[in-house]
Amino acid sequence: MTGTTPMPHATPARFATALAVEAYKLRRSLALLLAAVAPLLIAVFVFFNLMRFEKATPWTMTLYSSAAIWAFFMLPMSVTALTALVAHTEHGPRTLDHLRALPLPRWHLYAAKAVCVLGVVAAMSLLLAMLTLFVVELAGWLKPAVAASGTPDIAGYLALLGRIFLAAWLLVAVQLWIALRYASFVPALAVGIGGTFFAVVATTAKIGAFLPWQIPVNQLATDPARAQLALTLGGIGGCIVFAAMLWQLSRREVLD
Amino acid sequence: MLPAIETQGLTRRFGQHVAVDAISMTVPERSIYGFLGRNGAGKTTAIKLLLGLLQPDAGQARIAGIDLTSDRLGAARKVGALLEAQGFYPHLSGQQNLDLTRRLLGLPKSEIERVLEVAEMTAHGRRRVADYSLGMRQRLGLARAMLGAPPVLILDEPTNGLDPEGIADMRGFLRDLPARSGATVLLSSHLLGEIEQVATHIGILSHGRLVLEGALADLKAGMANEVAIETDMPERAVLIAREHGFDVEQTHDALVARFAPREDARSAAAALNRVLCVAGIRIHVLAPRQRTLEILYRNAARAAEPAALA
Repeated sequence: MTGTTPMPHATPARFATALAVEAYKLRRSLALLLAAVAPLLIAVFVFFNLMRFEKATPWTMTLYSSAAIWAFFMLPMSVTALTALVAHTEHGPRTLDHLRALPLPRWHLYAAKAVCVLGVVAAMSLLLAMLTLFVVELAGWLKPAVAASGTPDIAGYLALLGRIFLAAWLLVAVQLWIALRYASFVPALAVGIGGTFFAVVATTAKIGAFLPWQIPVNQLATDPARAQLALTLGGIGGCIVFAAMLWQLSRREVLD
Repeated sequence: MLPAIETQGLTRRFGQHVAVDAISMTVPERSIYGFLGRNGAGKTTAIKLLLGLLQPDAGQARIAGIDLTSDRLGAARKVGALLEAQGFYPHLSGQQNLDLTRRLLGLPKSEIERVLEVAEMTAHGRRRVADYSLGMRQRLGLARAMLGAPPVLILDEPTNGLDPEGIADMRGFLRDLPARSGATVLLSSHLLGEIEQVATHIGILSHGRLVLEGALADLKAGMANEVAIETDMPERAVLIAREHGFDVEQTHDALVARFAPREDARSAAAALNRVLCVAGIRIHVLAPRQRTLEILYRNAARAAEPAALA
């Protein structure tokens, strides 16, 4: 066309750019606040729990209970809230039409969001580890009688949190898909709260091994086979559900 | 010269409802194309089809010569859009919002300053969007649409929700846009007065169908001459006039007589006046009506009513 100005120095869209843009959107967002508060709450609980004792608790037990609270309850609830908040960043101001009209592959938008959410969950796991180690030391310093006994197996603790994180991929994928698919908070919250509820009340149920909200806590199972199954289901299942999410959302027409 | 936008038989159904019915439109390069129709006529659906947000059930669309179905990304590179839902992140500043789109488009940072200046928003760029007025958000939306200087701008109801002063500002801004940016503007609205003041071309949508399209000046020139008649016996006046072969209709506010575009309107009006006076009908006022977009729109929409088509 004549008389028109070409796009100055436009470069082809890259996935890394979409990812950087997603991370940029988290600035000053409630999602980021949640990412800090959720591990902090566990650390606060661990601290006051230690402080009420009169004798030392082994490092192993404290680290295990911190990971258990995380995997059992706080992780599924945090993922529910985090995915809903991240999706609401687009649903609230109705930005999806604008983004989907841009000249970049639509799967980039959703994949960037998924990677960003997984990154935040990984960061929450790391933050939990750091805060837990810190509060145990703090409790021992403030009240020497409760100073943790033994030596902390930090590598083992981080490996456990890593396995819990990998096992949570299916949970993250399911929750993110629902949160992005529906503009309302309600379906994502209802599924997340319902899933966590069943995971808590049916801890020993055999079917729990397949429930996305219970899969992370199965990393703490005494039966190694159950823990391995959970890791496989959570990790591979998560990848499959993420792929299905990208396929469906990229093709979906936004009608609202 | 390629049209900026061209569609052929573009159709989209939602169940049994045909929202866009075989639209074939041509938007000439560097024009301001007023896309008119009442609420629910199918304007927003047509725009979503042009932006690749909806898939057509039939037909095709080309943006700057690029087929949208076979090359969505290529066509999207030629378009900047302001949608009805502006879609800004309220917790970020205007500049930061623009920066997100700039990065996704792979444009240099200098583009932000440029478009803020064009949209006259430089002074407000650092403020959070949550603190913007509706008019400022519309301007920021325009700035975002202009990132990368796309040759085609699609603006869906850009004056929605603006106060009269904001509408006047926006009108001036839009009128100058093709000269300033070299872009073609497709402007959807249901405000006929606003479109009339800025558009060079129009397309009128009714019940999903494009019922009229062309250069506004040509369409107005081709309109019938109309004369408004005020009388205390309107029903009888209509009967008498029609008996003598005049095209007369009673509207909500007056009798309207239409004369063919090439007819000598003054002589025809005098002849009608004589017929009515001879029949004993007292004429209080007989005045020519201006050829307005409103009349053009009304006539086109009326002709396209399902009953009229049957």
